[in-house]
Amino acid sequence: MVSKTKRALALVLTAMMAASALAGCGPNNGGGTQNSAASANEGGTASQAAVQDINDPKVKEKIINAMAKEAEANGGKIELTLWCSGDDKPFEKTLVDAFEKEYANSNYEFKITIRNAYGEDKAGGKVIENPKEAADVFNMADDQLSQLVTAKAIAEVGSLFQGNVVANNTDDAVEVCSVNGTAYAFPKTSDNGYFMYYDKRVFKDDEVGCLDDMIKKANENGKSVYFNITGPWYMTAFFFTAGCEITYDVTKDKQVATFNTDQGLAAGKAICHIAESQGKGFEGSPGTVGDNAFVQQGFKEGTLAAAVIGTWAGPTIKEAIGVENVGAAKLPTVLMDGEQKQLDSFGGYKVVGVNAFTKFPVSSQALAYYLTNEDSQIKRYQERGYIPTNKKALEDDTIKNDTALKAIEAQMPYAHPQGTSVGGTYWAVKPETIGSEAYDKKGKLTDDRIKEILQNVVTQLEGE
Amino acid sequence: MTNTQSAAMKSGYAARRKAANIIIYVILSIMVIIWLFPIVWLVMRSFSGDNLIAPKNFFPTEWTFDNYINLFAVWDSEANAWVDPDPFPYGKWLLNTFIVAVCSAVISTLIILMISYAFSRLRFKTRKTFLNFGLILGMFPGFMSMAATYNIMEIFGLKQSLVGLVIVYSAGAGLGYQVSKGFFDTIPRSLDEAAKIDGATRNQIFWVIILPLSKPIIVYTALTTFLSPWADYIFVSYFMKDNQENYTVAVGLYNMLEPNYIANYFTRFCAGAVLIAVPITILFVIMQRFYVAGVTGGAVKG
Amino acid sequence: MDYLDYVQMTTGQRFVYKLKSFFMGIPGAIVKLVSIVGHFIASFFSMIANGFKGYGERFSNGDTGTKLSYVIMGAGNFVHKQIGKGLLFLAAEVAYIVYMVSFGFQYITQIYSTGVNIGGNIVNGVIGNEGPIYGQDPDGLTGDVIINSDTVDDSNKILLFFVMTVLITIAFVVVYVANTKSAYAVQQIEQSGKKPMSAMEELRSFLDERFHVTLMAIPVILLLIFTVLPIIFTIFVAFTNYDKNHQPPGNLYWWVGFENFADVFYTNKMKSETFGKILLWTIVWAFFATFSNYILGIVLALMINKKGIKFKGFWRTMFVITAAVPQFVTLLVMRILLDDKGAINSMLGTNIPFLTDMSGVWPKITVILVNMWVGIPYTMLISSGLLMNIPEDLYESARIDGANAFQQFTKITFPYIFFVTTPYLITSFVGNINNFNVIYFLTAGGPNSDSYYQAGQTDLLVTWLYKLTVNSSDYNLAAVIGLLVFVICAAGALITFNMSKASKNEEEFS
Repeated sequence: MVSKTKRALALVLTAMMAASALAGCGPNNGGGTQNSAASANEGGTASQAAVQDINDPKVKEKIINAMAKEAEANGGKIELTLWCSGDDKPFEKTLVDAFEKEYANSNYEFKITIRNAYGEDKAGGKVIENPKEAADVFNMADDQLSQLVTAKAIAEVGSLFQGNVVANNTDDAVEVCSVNGTAYAFPKTSDNGYFMYYDKRVFKDDEVGCLDDMIKKANENGKSVYFNITGPWYMTAFFFTAGCEITYDVTKDKQVATFNTDQGLAAGKAICHIAESQGKGFEGSPGTVGDNAFVQQGFKEGTLAAAVIGTWAGPTIKEAIGVENVGAAKLPTVLMDGEQKQLDSFGGYKVVGVNAFTKFPVSSQALAYYLTNEDSQIKRYQERGYIPTNKKALEDDTIKNDTALKAIEAQMPYAHPQGTSVGGTYWAVKPETIGSEAYDKKGKLTDDRIKEILQNVVTQLEGE
Repeated sequence: MTNTQSAAMKSGYAARRKAANIIIYVILSIMVIIWLFPIVWLVMRSFSGDNLIAPKNFFPTEWTFDNYINLFAVWDSEANAWVDPDPFPYGKWLLNTFIVAVCSAVISTLIILMISYAFSRLRFKTRKTFLNFGLILGMFPGFMSMAATYNIMEIFGLKQSLVGLVIVYSAGAGLGYQVSKGFFDTIPRSLDEAAKIDGATRNQIFWVIILPLSKPIIVYTALTTFLSPWADYIFVSYFMKDNQENYTVAVGLYNMLEPNYIANYFTRFCAGAVLIAVPITILFVIMQRFYVAGVTGGAVKG
Repeated sequence: MDYLDYVQMTTGQRFVYKLKSFFMGIPGAIVKLVSIVGHFIASFFSMIANGFKGYGERFSNGDTGTKLSYVIMGAGNFVHKQIGKGLLFLAAEVAYIVYMVSFGFQYITQIYSTGVNIGGNIVNGVIGNEGPIYGQDPDGLTGDVIINSDTVDDSNKILLFFVMTVLITIAFVVVYVANTKSAYAVQQIEQSGKKPMSAMEELRSFLDERFHVTLMAIPVILLLIFTVLPIIFTIFVAFTNYDKNHQPPGNLYWWVGFENFADVFYTNKMKSETFGKILLWTIVWAFFATFSNYILGIVLALMINKKGIKFKGFWRTMFVITAAVPQFVTLLVMRILLDDKGAINSMLGTNIPFLTDMSGVWPKITVILVNMWVGIPYTMLISSGLLMNIPEDLYESARIDGANAFQQFTKITFPYIFFVTTPYLITSFVGNINNFNVIYFLTAGGPNSDSYYQAGQTDLLVTWLYKLTVNSSDYNLAAVIGLLVFVICAAGALITFNMSKASKNEEEFS
């Protein structure tokens, strides 16, 4: 009893601490400048000199001159390659065109190629594999940053750009872009996390708090609630919720995930508990088609009433059931250790990095900065629905009232930053096995089997 | 034995035979349905207006030809014009694959014929050594050294290029001489001897006497080397990396089924798959006797 | 067992016997493989010894020109007025020296250096000298940048150029020895009073006596560059720590000896257990995949070709169509169809985990069944052709002897087909060991298991190799697996060789 109260108290305290720390980055808070000053101090090089505004014509001239020098060594051409995610390409193309106009100069011409073969999930790994021929500028998820730094494949953000990045983006966004106090990437979007979309015709806004109740209601309507327990990224939520320690130490390249504890067992059992409803109001796996396709098709055919997924699914869901019927909320509570607990989640960022081996370091940094500045972020929200990291962009009225953003903000106190929680090894050891097996056996796993699976995950991590 | 008895026996035998045949017809029909089901399903999906991956109905609820058109151009309602189907330029990939297939078929066929003629008809000191080396090299898993091949192509400045792909395919053809060597072995040696007495060089014998006799094996070799680039996913996907303009259809189609895309591109994938499957299938059905001759000819020789 | 026992067996017994002897032959074949490799090495050294002997003899018997050609290549030919040939030899020597001085030699020195690893320790055996060096950026536009990005060492390149230099050196030695031989030969011809070949005659010989050189030069050079060189490179990688934490140019890798092999066999519990399980499944898979296709394909061909069955061409074409559609297309369609939320389950209203059952049973059965779908038409096609080859009078005389249909099958049809297709059967067994497509496109090796390292329950050795290369950047481990697959296939091929020798003998007897 004592331990339970203690744990609950600890949870509340952590939540409060998290909330207070995060309040600073919310759009409703006016204290942005103070925060930026504080983090600029951590930023090292940028702290001493006052931040030079990149839109200042003098600064811009300095950049253009440096770019011209790079072009000179390459016959007057600035040749860059940009990697972005599949469907983003047409949109990123418009930004690149705008960049070429903004930095146009008679001393050089641009030749910027956009390729979308390697999305944000793969880009970092591909750059490490062969940095000399990888893209000069690439989009990626923030958790690849630490490996890129270890592999010496990503360039530091120049102090001039760094000052602007620090001043204009939320503290959390700046933090995930930094390793040991040095910024290595440009924050782009803050929505690389998950929350819940639901069909308002099935659930009223106050009915989306408890997963068990939702499953029951969905089942009565002949529909399902979707949570991909076979996906490592999603099912880790249960282990965060149970209080397992999941951390990644960049400098030592050491992954810790205490799944072989009582908390781990509780998480495993909670997964099994919801898996019991598989096919009866709950859907735990997308099959081989992947989350996006599954969610899209589910809403279109009316088999899904709610789904745990991220902003990228928003447009297709809206198209399927109509904007007015789409609701978004933080994750529901789940039954764990006999009580209802709020589900935690990953909260991540998507960032833009510059290749350390690029022939055009200045031009690449200028492009990376341009792709993530205030205007670009607002446009990206308008066109693609991605939530900005830029403080001013977050003040924008339509963005402020976005349902998805509100859901993300509500989930934020329970979101764990991806970059310091997990490194590549975590995904490599297939932590989702517990979810897959629970799904496959409809939750009928013995405690011993749960322990065995979780122990195997830990053993593999230690063996790495 | 009287006539009636024999007639009765005959008719009993015929009845049994008829029953057996009916059973065979039933089995064959069921098998044909099972075997054709996935292919017909694929064709049905390619004409489907909905984008469903797992429809409950076998036939599309809404028929359309758009999936085929969209492979080559997409209607942009904002610009009011046809635009390239951006992430998946199928037409370009089709052309790439065709060019690579034709070039590598020509070069590979030449190389295979040259090598197998040398091994089959000529006798030289290092022949056994080369044969053994060929055998040993053939036993390494093909894509074990993909990464190194890529690096070598980088040195030659041919990485991620179609020329590089043709070279790699043609270079690998040097190990595929067994079947045609088996064929050459069956051509009587007396022909060579006679020509030699008439003063022909080995070069002339090869071009004037042996090649004209080798039509089936030339067709077989050209066919197999032409078909393989259409189906190769592993090496191309590794070799072309992010250079989507130079993908072949196999890699492109595979990418349409990635989780990010499948929801929107599945029926287009089906159309693309049908489009390459049709000519290849026709080609194969016409050429099947050469295929059989090639494989069994080689098999008999061992 | 001697031949008399063998011929007295029924076909079924022979089949079982052949099967048994195939598997019993595996250990023997491995021993034999080792002995062949040993023999190969021994003969290689004796060849070198003989080479040296001849080399010395030619020198002591040679005239001035020949002796000179031991230092200046082509000198012997010059002396005896074979200017063109001499120039070629000289050019080869000059080219080699220029290559070594300007390019090749540095890679030989860099192949074993001393360097600092990520943890700050000094390690021996690093491939390459220098990783990236950082310089300050005063303008604040780029951060601290890598200033030597053009010259920074890359272990991959160094190892590759090292292998290339070694191959070129071997080629040079061959040319060099040929040069001494040529000089000595032309000397002897002149001493015997004959006229050496003119340049024209030499050229002409490449279309006749030396036609094999003309035919094989280009293919062999292509093979050397694009097949042999990469394979040697990859074999070397098996002895380094080229993995995800040592990816050049950011971090150089170094030699670790047999550590990776030890990992796969015993030191690393997870890797060795994964290897064991995958090896077992690979063999089980190859066995079922081969024989299910083979037997059922023949049965199908028999049904279609049975007397009295009409529309033979139609039936055959229906199956050939499925064989003709490119494999990756049909396999991807199968994957979509058989998904646990796929069209088949959706049409049947069921929820069968064809490809996702975590116990691995369903997926393993499914891949074998789908492989039958893919492969049976091929066997049908091939054995149809063979069935038509069987002389009709054989059946005629059997019928006169009173054999029924079943007996005709066991006594005539099956022995004939089995005999002719034994080599095909064995190549397809080896082919199935390496059957990447069916597994990768259908299940991608899945379902994943907690007790496998970077692999799933339907992974074969080759798909595991592929995943290690492409997904997890464990290049060294992948190289080890590749080598092991080679050993397995080589052993299989040796057994094949022995067996086909046996079947050839059988042919002679009957």
